[in-house]
Amino acid sequence: MATTEMDVPVARAKPALSRRSFGGVKIYDHIVLWIGVFLMMGPLAVAFMTSTFDHVMIHREGMQVGWGGEFLSTYDTVLNQQGGFSGEITGWLMTKNSFILGIGFALGKIVVSMLAAYAIVYFRFPLAGFCFWVIFLTLLLPLEVRILPSYEVVQQLGLLNSYTGLILPLIASATGTFFFRQFFKSVPNELLEAARIDGANAWRFFVDILVPLSRTMMAAIFIIMFVVGWNQYLWPMLMTTEEQYFTLVRGIRNVMQSMIGADIPFYNEALAMAMLAMLPPVVIILIFQRMFIKGLVEQEK
Amino acid sequence: MAKSQFTNPWFPYLLLAPQMLIIGVFFLWPAAEAIWSSFFLQDPFFGKSTYVGINNYVDAVTGSDYRRTAWFTTIFTVLVAFLSLFLGLMLAVSADRVLRGRSAYKTLLMWVYAIAPPVAGLIGIMLFDQHIGPLVEFAALFGWNMRVGVDYWDTGIAMIVVATWKQIPYCFIFFLSGLQSIPSSVKEAASIDCRSETRRFWTITFPLLAPTTFFLLILNITYAMFETFGTIDLMVKGEPGNNPVTLVYKVYQDGFRGLDVGGSAAQSVILMLLVLVLTVVQFRLIERRVHYS
Amino acid sequence: MHPTKFILIGAATMFAGTAQAQTELTWWHGMGGQLGETVNTLATMFNESQSEYVLTPTYKGGYEDTLTSTIAAFRAGEQPNIVQVFDAGAATIIGADGAVIPAEDLIINAGIDFDSNDYISGVRYFYADSEGKMVGMPFNSSTPILYYNTEALEKAGVEPPKTWEEFQAIAPAIVEAGYTPLAQSHSPWIWTENFHSRHNLPFATNNNGFDGSDGTEILVNNDAIKAHFTAAKEWMDKGWYGYYGAGWGDNQTPFENGEVAMWLGSSGSFGGLRNSVEFDFSATYLPYWEAVTTEPTQTFIGGAALFALSGHDEAENTGTAEFFKFLSSPEVQLMWHKETGYVPITTAAYELATEEGYYEETPQAEVGIKQLLLPSGENSKGYRMGFYVQIRDVMNREYGKIFAGETDVDSAFSVIEEEGNKLLNRFAQTN
Repeated sequence: MATTEMDVPVARAKPALSRRSFGGVKIYDHIVLWIGVFLMMGPLAVAFMTSTFDHVMIHREGMQVGWGGEFLSTYDTVLNQQGGFSGEITGWLMTKNSFILGIGFALGKIVVSMLAAYAIVYFRFPLAGFCFWVIFLTLLLPLEVRILPSYEVVQQLGLLNSYTGLILPLIASATGTFFFRQFFKSVPNELLEAARIDGANAWRFFVDILVPLSRTMMAAIFIIMFVVGWNQYLWPMLMTTEEQYFTLVRGIRNVMQSMIGADIPFYNEALAMAMLAMLPPVVIILIFQRMFIKGLVEQEK
Repeated sequence: MAKSQFTNPWFPYLLLAPQMLIIGVFFLWPAAEAIWSSFFLQDPFFGKSTYVGINNYVDAVTGSDYRRTAWFTTIFTVLVAFLSLFLGLMLAVSADRVLRGRSAYKTLLMWVYAIAPPVAGLIGIMLFDQHIGPLVEFAALFGWNMRVGVDYWDTGIAMIVVATWKQIPYCFIFFLSGLQSIPSSVKEAASIDCRSETRRFWTITFPLLAPTTFFLLILNITYAMFETFGTIDLMVKGEPGNNPVTLVYKVYQDGFRGLDVGGSAAQSVILMLLVLVLTVVQFRLIERRVHYS
Repeated sequence: MHPTKFILIGAATMFAGTAQAQTELTWWHGMGGQLGETVNTLATMFNESQSEYVLTPTYKGGYEDTLTSTIAAFRAGEQPNIVQVFDAGAATIIGADGAVIPAEDLIINAGIDFDSNDYISGVRYFYADSEGKMVGMPFNSSTPILYYNTEALEKAGVEPPKTWEEFQAIAPAIVEAGYTPLAQSHSPWIWTENFHSRHNLPFATNNNGFDGSDGTEILVNNDAIKAHFTAAKEWMDKGWYGYYGAGWGDNQTPFENGEVAMWLGSSGSFGGLRNSVEFDFSATYLPYWEAVTTEPTQTFIGGAALFALSGHDEAENTGTAEFFKFLSSPEVQLMWHKETGYVPITTAAYELATEEGYYEETPQAEVGIKQLLLPSGENSKGYRMGFYVQIRDVMNREYGKIFAGETDVDSAFSVIEEEGNKLLNRFAQTN
């Protein structure tokens, strides 16, 4: 929790410090950063430009730099073309599913882990140690290593192709719980004492004092978890075999499938879908940059 | 610090119930099932099981392919973890030093954090396309006839580049925050004591970043081993052939594509043990880390 | 969406609105893109052709995804009526006793006439049991053929090769003309499975695996195929053959770009090539080694078949049978053939296409069927091996190693044999 207090003095001291550094160093730094920006953003820019070209052109000549002029028609196709026999599957539907997954995952994780962390930090009870270790165990084994049995369990519960089955198994990892546990531990004891004097019970203390106090933390975790949930690939790929549950990230695989066969793949549509899948997380991260970075870095503590 | 606590016979269990329920159903049950089914061969349609003892493990480990995959996973993980660490640090140090445009640099450099691994894979495989990929053409300028999809290590290098690219922003964000939280008094004292910028960095700044570095290393290893699935899946186009894949990909390949439930479960259990070992090592190191942070 | 399809669907929806007591049928398939559109059109045509059944096709991702989700659904008791299963998955679904109603039984039980002789011989047996009873209904059937760039061969002054010996004779001239002579997509399918069929060589014990999975062993480690791969490696070293990895498209692209003069692909690739290629091209039979046989036999089909899953009531099964009958009708087959490039599965459809003069305009489209109609042999019916997806993975890997110079042909084939047999043995234990 030391970061917040230190941010301010560092920012103030900066000009004094840099005046002492040599001009050459600054040019070097700008060059490094320019190269960095070029390498990080270049591929995305090329991918975007390529998505505006026609797929046969991309197939023959590869990625393109320039404006292909098919921007509107390609993105319109990706978002609005009705797929499937029923004609119900569109890019918008996939976007909606991605939002459901991202938001559902983030909210679910926050609620479940806050409650659990509250119990662990603020209560003395016989099985506390046991519960803590069980929760800790989940940090060790990511979903990827137990993917097949997880799938079988979800199948036995009849949850294949459902939002519940999509979201719940992803919540089973307890990163959020540890997050809140650290945070609650840093809350001063006086607050609880004061609340007790006011006669607040355990639930009221949680709702009236802890939750409002954690607002920033919750927002930060929400942003991080939203991005994590939105970008899920392996689990949705196995879980959702019905098109109406496809997310954008999952949808990219479908366009790619034809790359294996003899048809010319619709590279332009795959790339357009990739661009669309990138947009919401990027926008959210950039808008809430400070909060996001704070939340992210907090994990380290 | 001792925490003031409530005592209540049932309320804490109620609070823990959702978490424990989800863990029980979606974590403990599958993990137990993985261990159980790793001792059986299963007919996928009816789930008829035949007990085969440790045969699944023996078959998995003795396959020439498994050893090669394990070896590739190790190299891939180490390179991705260290390269993204190094490049992220380099960018963060520069971003910390410049004044003009710092926030613009920061924004542009963290952008890639938000993209999904399969999206990185899709863009990567098009850039590295063996016939018309711009990066393959670039490599050819240096006389390197890069054949992604044909040559084992050429494909492996392409995968390492793409996976590293995706992870750099993460390291960058952490290092930049770490650098900015170094007290100015320390920085100023250092700049008086030690005129050489490079030496100053390695003797004073970097040790202060050591806890961050260590934390990132662990995260990078987890990322490279597990989260790169999407990148790899797109880059081998679903048909690995003689191309490298990671251990996680192999679990998927044998279990889902090949419908070999038992064999795949055995590989899952091996991975679980591996992660457990890694965690123990991590704890040993954390104990040491506490001393100097 | 195509306007025609839109009208068709509109009509189908109106129709569905008026008739009430229709039996609903579901069909899961793995055909995306343009092919998926054609599948939807087929379903719409079927729905319009009668009023008792409504068939809904659903795209489930690739072939593997389709099979996996079908199995999951089967275990949950929610399986579709019809599922499309690809060649390498045939053993899995046919081997699962009681999961599938053989197409032949299904059709006969529904009181529809059935004669397996109506089907083209190269098509008939692949998805049949050891007695020749058709279990799967062949759907998208294709067979490997040799496509060639007409301009390239003219420039080199050579004729397309019938045998690999001829290929070796003409390759230098093609190189001279500025082309890589040969490329190939899918080595396990073309240069392994169909290699055995074309030369009438046994591919597995137990009647190529048709007689059951117990004790079936793969016979891939033989001199003929080793000689072939030894030659292929030499061709590659001389610049006669380009190996571009295990991916289908990666090997097809250089042919489409005009870098490669001849390409071994699927007869079903014809539709796609027409759109992507700017030069004149034609096709001919899959070459064989005269040194191995002087009487080459037919190839068999790849692609996928439709299977009727058990666990549905009589009315639905009858509906499925009706759909199979509809699919096999010459008109539907002809439409499918023309639209997609897959071969027609019945003799009647083939005759209809001939009468219509389709092959006079597009002789390339006929090559696949003619090849499937070549004389058959003991070993040209296909194969039936379990965990075959993994066996193909092993082949792809080892072939990649051969062409990368990481291993020699002898060790590669002993690895394929050893690991293949290990997988077959594991599969036998699952039943």
